[in-house]
Amino acid sequence: MMKGGPSQEDIRRHNLGTLLRFVHLRGPASRATLAESLGLNRSTIMALTADLTAAGLVREELPRGPGRRAGRPSLVVRPESTRVYVLAFEVGVDRLVVARVGLGGVVLDRREGVRARGSDPAELLGVLVAGARALVRKAERDAVCVGATLGFPGTVRRSDDTIMFGPNLDVGELRLGDALSRRLGLGIPVSVCNDANLGALAEHERGAGVGCDNLIYLHGDVGVGGGIIAHGRLLGGDEGFGGEIGHMIINPGGRLCACGSKGCLEAEVGERTLLAHAGREESPDQPGRDAVRAVVAAADAGDIAAREALQRVGSWLGLGVANLVNVFNPGLVVFGGTLRDIYLGAAAQIRSVMATGALAAPRERVKLRTAALGDDTTLVGAAEFAFAEVLADPVQVLTRLRAPEAVP
Amino acid sequence: MSVTPALDLRGIEKSFGSVTVLHDVAFSAYPGEVTALVGDNGAGKTTLVKCIGGIHAFDAGEYRFEGRPVRIGSPREATRLGIEIVHQDLALCENLDIVQNLFLGRERRRGLTLDETAMEEMARSTLSGLAVRTMGSVRQRIATLSGGQRQTVAIARAVLWDSKVVILDEPAAALGIAQTQQVLEVVRRLADKGLAVVLISHNMNDVFAVSDRIAAMYLGRMVAQVRTSDVTHRQVVELITSGASGELGLRR
Repeated sequence: MMKGGPSQEDIRRHNLGTLLRFVHLRGPASRATLAESLGLNRSTIMALTADLTAAGLVREELPRGPGRRAGRPSLVVRPESTRVYVLAFEVGVDRLVVARVGLGGVVLDRREGVRARGSDPAELLGVLVAGARALVRKAERDAVCVGATLGFPGTVRRSDDTIMFGPNLDVGELRLGDALSRRLGLGIPVSVCNDANLGALAEHERGAGVGCDNLIYLHGDVGVGGGIIAHGRLLGGDEGFGGEIGHMIINPGGRLCACGSKGCLEAEVGERTLLAHAGREESPDQPGRDAVRAVVAAADAGDIAAREALQRVGSWLGLGVANLVNVFNPGLVVFGGTLRDIYLGAAAQIRSVMATGALAAPRERVKLRTAALGDDTTLVGAAEFAFAEVLADPVQVLTRLRAPEAVP
Repeated sequence: MSVTPALDLRGIEKSFGSVTVLHDVAFSAYPGEVTALVGDNGAGKTTLVKCIGGIHAFDAGEYRFEGRPVRIGSPREATRLGIEIVHQDLALCENLDIVQNLFLGRERRRGLTLDETAMEEMARSTLSGLAVRTMGSVRQRIATLSGGQRQTVAIARAVLWDSKVVILDEPAAALGIAQTQQVLEVVRRLADKGLAVVLISHNMNDVFAVSDRIAAMYLGRMVAQVRTSDVTHRQVVELITSGASGELGLRR
C-alpha cells in the first residue's frame, strides 16, 4: 500500500498531543518555554493552545508570583486539572484504591479501603463501583472523564484485557474491566493492566526514571511483579504477558511458588518467605506491607533473625537483578512496593551479589533506586495509562466524549 | 572517565604536631554522583572533610576544584566556591525559625531592611524541592522539628546557595528508620540534580543504597576508590578493617 507523508491534519494532531503531553507531565509552562522545548514556532504554539483551550483541555493565564524578567510576561499554559480527569483503580491483595486523577497528574480525590485476605470475590466489584461513583459524583458539573484503568496483580491478556492468572488474588471475574465499565455506565471502557507494568510506566513518566528510557521496575506485594521499559516503551511481549520477573526461576528446586513452579524469584523473596525466614507468622489482620516493614525495622534495631532473613532474601534478589542486568542492560532498576523497604534494608547484600554475578560492562553504569512515588506507583501508572488515549489525539477524543451528553 | 571531577585532591598530607593524620590522600567527587567516604573511627575522614572545607589547612598536596587548582584558606573561601558541609551536629539554632536558620549570616537585604518575603520564598522552594514530606510553615522554630526534619533543614541550608559540592557527615546517625530513609532519598535527589555529594557513613546498607562510588580510608590513607557496583559488601568491610581486600587496597 502506498502512503504519502503525513497530512497537515496528522501533523496538527501530533502537535496537539505533544503539547498536551508536555504540560500534563512537566506541569504548567509558558508559551516561550513550550516553543523552546517542543521546537515549534511561537505562533504555532499559540494556535495549538487556542485549539486545546477551546476543547477545554488547557487554560492560559498570567504567571503567578512576581515576574523576574522585564517586559510583557509570557502567558502560562495550564492543564484543566479539575475538568478533565480519569479514574484509576488499584486492586491489591490487601487494599483497594480508587482515585480521580486530573489532567496534569493531580490526584483530586481518592477512596481507599483495606481488603481482608480471602474475602468474597463477588464483593470486590461492588466496592469498586461504589467508590468510583462517589468520586464521579463529587466532580465538577462540566468535568469529563476521559478514561479508566485498573491495576491488577496478575497476568492480563492485552488484546481483550482478560485476566489470565492471578495467583495471590481471586477476583471471581475474568473480564473485570468489562464488568466494571458496564456497572459504572460512564460510556468509557475500563482497561485492565498488570500492576507492576503500570508501576514501571509511572516511575518512567513521573518517578525515579524520568529521562531514563531503559529501566526495570520491580514491585513487591505478596508476590513480586515486574515491568520492563525498553526504548521508552513497556515491553509486553507477544500477548502482553511479558515482564513477569517474579516468575523467573533463580533457584531450581527451591521453594514452592504460588504459580506451581519451584524457586521463582517471587517464591524466594516474596513477603511470605521473608516472614518465614524471620520466624514470623502471617497474620490476617496485618497488611503484608506492615509485616515486611516490621521485619526491616527489627533488623535495623539489631534483631538477628530479622537480619538473617533480610540477608537471605537480599541475596536472591541480587541474583535476580544480576540476571536482569545481563539480559536487558537497564540504565536503572527501581524497587517499589515492599521491595523498596527490602532494598533499603539489604542494599549491601543485593549490590554485592549483583557485583559478583553480573557482567562487568552492563553492571558498571546501572543505578539501583527506590520508587519515588512510594505506595502510589500502581495508581499513578493506572492514571497515566488511562490518559494515553486523550494525549494521543486530544481534540477528537474529547469531542467524541462530550458529544452524546449521556452523562446522567 | 571524561567527566571532570567537581573536587579532585591529590597527595594531601596533614599532620598535627608529630602525628600524621593524612598521608598521601587522593580523593575525587563527581557531579551527579554520591561518593561515600567510609573508614573506621580515626581513619581520617573528618580531617579530610575539614581540609576540603577550609577549616584545616593541609601541609602538602594539590586541590583542584572543577579542574582548576585552588587554594582554600578559610571556610568562607570554600563556601564561595560552592562547597558546603553539613556537620554531624547540624549546627542549627533551636531558638530561631527555619528561614532565619537557612539565611543565618547571609541574610538577604532590600535597602536597609531584610527581604523577608524573598527569603521565605527561597526557603519554601528549596525545601519543597528536597522534602519527601511537607514541613508545614517555614516560620516554625527548629525546636519544634523532628530529627529527620532538622536534617532536611541543614541540608537545605547547604544547597540554597547554588552549591556544587555538598558533604554530609553521618546524616543518618541518630535517626529513626523511617527518617533515615527520608534523608537517603534527599541525598539521592541532590545528586540527581547534578551536585557532587560526599556522604560519610558507617552503615553499609546506606552506603550501598545510595552511593555511586565508594572511597575507603584506612589509618590516614586512601586505600581504594571504586564504583559501588564493582565491589561487594565484604570487600568494603575488609578495606575498612584491614586496608586491603584481594586486588584492592594497600600492597603488602
